[in-house]
Amino acid sequence: MSEYLLEMQGIVKAFSGVKALDGIDLVVRAGECVGLCGENGAGKSTLMKVLSAVYPHGTWEGRILWDGEPLCARDIRETEAAGIVIIHQELMLVPHLSVAENIFLGNEITGPGGLLNYAAMYQRAAELMAELKMPEVNVALPVSQYGGGHQQLIEIAKALNKKARLLILDEPTSSLTKAETAILLDIILALKKKGVACVMISHKLDEIAAVCDTISVIRDGTHVATRPMGELSVDQIITLMVGREIKNLYPREEHAIGEVIFEARNITCHDIDNPARKKVDNISFQLRRGEILGVAGLVGAGRTELAMAIFGCYPGRYEATVLLDGRVLQIDSPQAAVQAGVCLVPEDRKRHGIVPLLGVGYNITLSVLQRFSKYGVIDPSAEMQTIEQMIQRMHIKTATPLLAIQGLSGGNQQKAVLAKMLLPQPRVLILDEPTRGVDVGAKYEIYKLMMALVKDGMSIIMISSELPEVLGVSDRVLVIGEGQLRGDFVNAGLTQETVMAAAIGKAEALAA
Amino acid sequence: MQSIARSIQQIFSRYKILALLLAIVAIWSFFTWQSEGSFLTARNFANLLRQMAITGMLASGMVFVIIAGEIDLSVGSLLGLLGGVAAVLDASFHLPVALNFAIVLGLGLLLGLFNGYWVAYLRVPSFIVGLAGMLIFRGILLAVTKGSTISVESENFVAFGQSYLPVTAGYVLGVAIFVLQGVLMLRGRANRQRYQLAVPPLWQEAVKLVVIGLIIAGFVEALNSYEGIPLPVLLMLAILGGFSFLARHTVFGRRIYAVGSNLEATRLSGVNTRLVKMALFGVMGLMCALAGLTNTARMAAGSPSSGNMGELDAIASCFIGGTSMRGGSGTVLGALIGALIMASLDNGMSMLSVESYWQMIVKGSILLLAVWVDVMSGSSER
Repeated sequence: MSEYLLEMQGIVKAFSGVKALDGIDLVVRAGECVGLCGENGAGKSTLMKVLSAVYPHGTWEGRILWDGEPLCARDIRETEAAGIVIIHQELMLVPHLSVAENIFLGNEITGPGGLLNYAAMYQRAAELMAELKMPEVNVALPVSQYGGGHQQLIEIAKALNKKARLLILDEPTSSLTKAETAILLDIILALKKKGVACVMISHKLDEIAAVCDTISVIRDGTHVATRPMGELSVDQIITLMVGREIKNLYPREEHAIGEVIFEARNITCHDIDNPARKKVDNISFQLRRGEILGVAGLVGAGRTELAMAIFGCYPGRYEATVLLDGRVLQIDSPQAAVQAGVCLVPEDRKRHGIVPLLGVGYNITLSVLQRFSKYGVIDPSAEMQTIEQMIQRMHIKTATPLLAIQGLSGGNQQKAVLAKMLLPQPRVLILDEPTRGVDVGAKYEIYKLMMALVKDGMSIIMISSELPEVLGVSDRVLVIGEGQLRGDFVNAGLTQETVMAAAIGKAEALAA
Repeated sequence: MQSIARSIQQIFSRYKILALLLAIVAIWSFFTWQSEGSFLTARNFANLLRQMAITGMLASGMVFVIIAGEIDLSVGSLLGLLGGVAAVLDASFHLPVALNFAIVLGLGLLLGLFNGYWVAYLRVPSFIVGLAGMLIFRGILLAVTKGSTISVESENFVAFGQSYLPVTAGYVLGVAIFVLQGVLMLRGRANRQRYQLAVPPLWQEAVKLVVIGLIIAGFVEALNSYEGIPLPVLLMLAILGGFSFLARHTVFGRRIYAVGSNLEATRLSGVNTRLVKMALFGVMGLMCALAGLTNTARMAAGSPSSGNMGELDAIASCFIGGTSMRGGSGTVLGALIGALIMASLDNGMSMLSVESYWQMIVKGSILLLAVWVDVMSGSSER
């Protein structure tokens, strides 16, 4: 019998030559809860996907020992049979099926002839609900009757029903209210006592501190440290998480910053699935002429929702008051926002940025097509002239302006989307993760462009998950955490540690 | 062997029109052989085109609806209703034909916009809006006509569906279209060269132009050797020209393709996508009005059953003509060639006195096959 329930040794996982994981070790004892920490993109989720065989054995290097035996699983079914169950960040329940049906989905209790044995399933489901301290749940009702917190616990019931010995929780509290979070943490403690081990990925260090015995920090795909929980202070954890040098990638140029031109007041966005929860909670801020305002925060903090509310496209219920030059703007649609002088380059390029079948040029002019038209008929040479200018200015590499944009590289697509949102000549430009999935060269060009734009008096709000980028480009930095404004810093001598501490919610601790 | 098959597949997926023309040649050859020549006479050709005109008008509107990622199942009933209203206005109220047509066209536009409002602003799926409209419009038609066929009395009305363009005018028109094609081709070449785009060799374009010339000449000659170009066919060709222009050279056309390819990205670019969708259905309603008027004029009567299953023919024409089911791509020309294929099957099989149940089975199978080919060629690209 091995000392450890799970040993992962020297795990290397590469995506088309780029190493996402570079020799990671992780060990878990039975009944132990390990907190896995790291920045956005450090490799936490990738590691868990290797463990649960979302990436099957053979697509990565290294060794996994389970109960001292090598584990070579080819798919999730095999790891689940072994007792490793992963609960993803987004809930994977079928809303219209009952609680019991969800718990037994793919694992049904059947009688002769494949008929479902509902009595047995209801009984077992009710037992599980009692075990998880929520006997009030009626297992015959559809899952959609219950809120986000209950749903998360139903996911856990589903995992327990599979006789889980190791539970992997990926950001389990990201869609929960405070009260719901407390219940969940209690249950994790109770499970530990029964000998169920647990790996918890979370950005919220206080939650990790509450339930975990050990903390493992990874950074850029490598293992940084594993220590007993008590040995590390919050600042030490943060230093371990970021501890990266800012390389000289950022063409910071002097530019004049003028008066306040834009103001967002009391922006609140309600979660679509769980309206009791606020994704953005009463955030207000100001923006000056020629200023680059960086918006930092962890994934899911509410930054994208904030941008969507300003741009008039948040899909759920929201309240927002937006002022430009002291006048309240009536923004109820992206169309109104663009007309009012506010443009957004969205985070998800494929879904919200490009129109894949249209040519590169036609993507660029989509926002201002009326400009080249008389009585609705487009003047092709006027349009082509603008397209050529933009392609040159943005250094977009394309064989012809008519090539369908889906054939271009990510960097060139991003530049085309940027060009599209520059043509309306906005006063305020919101960039949501402007350099995601973009190569280093194109990144540099995008930063250069931002500098040129603010010199011309445009104001930019840049949302980014890359701290070095935020600190390298911004004049001022807003930090958002769990939907709230956690900090508003002038970017002079600002460190990654300060920003990260504010994002996690330990600003006071650090300041003291 | 496999590489030959692949390159043939590539040629067809690039020049879908070519495959469709080949299909037409095959279908016509078959019917000509089976009917011992009577399929390919000038008289039957004129008849075939007149049959096709109505489906063609519907398909011209439908192709934009499908490109934008929607569907409209109500067009058959709407055609019937508008044709019926026109007949009633003529027979019971004796309105002048011009006024009558204006009212019906306006009504078509309004009802189309009504459908579009439900889809775009009230966010009811277009499939359901169409299904509801199919019942509602047919119901109103039955009420308006009281279930009986209403004869049209005005001669001018009937002439709209049954007269022909004079022979000389037909020749002039043919030459004009040919010259226009030549000019457009040269201008297109010049434009592409200006922007350093690849230009096909001149001989290839010349061959293309000669083929187009031959098709126009054959078309005009065949119709003129009967009685001339039928007015509804002329109207359909005008729609083809106008809508092709709309698709390529107008803001509205560009937005239709953008909405169909990625609705969210288009909306976030500041385009009023709802308005685009509603307008689209308005155009569809207008096409229903034209088709309804043509139908009533051709039969010299408004019947409570006219336009039955018209939506299916129109939708099938679009898909056979290479319109993508995923939205974002398709052409009016393709849809009209699709309509020609459907009409050829109808006409040929009726001529051979094939039982009507067989006609349905054959048409259904062709639709299934055509879409399967589209799916196959689409998936191999991805």
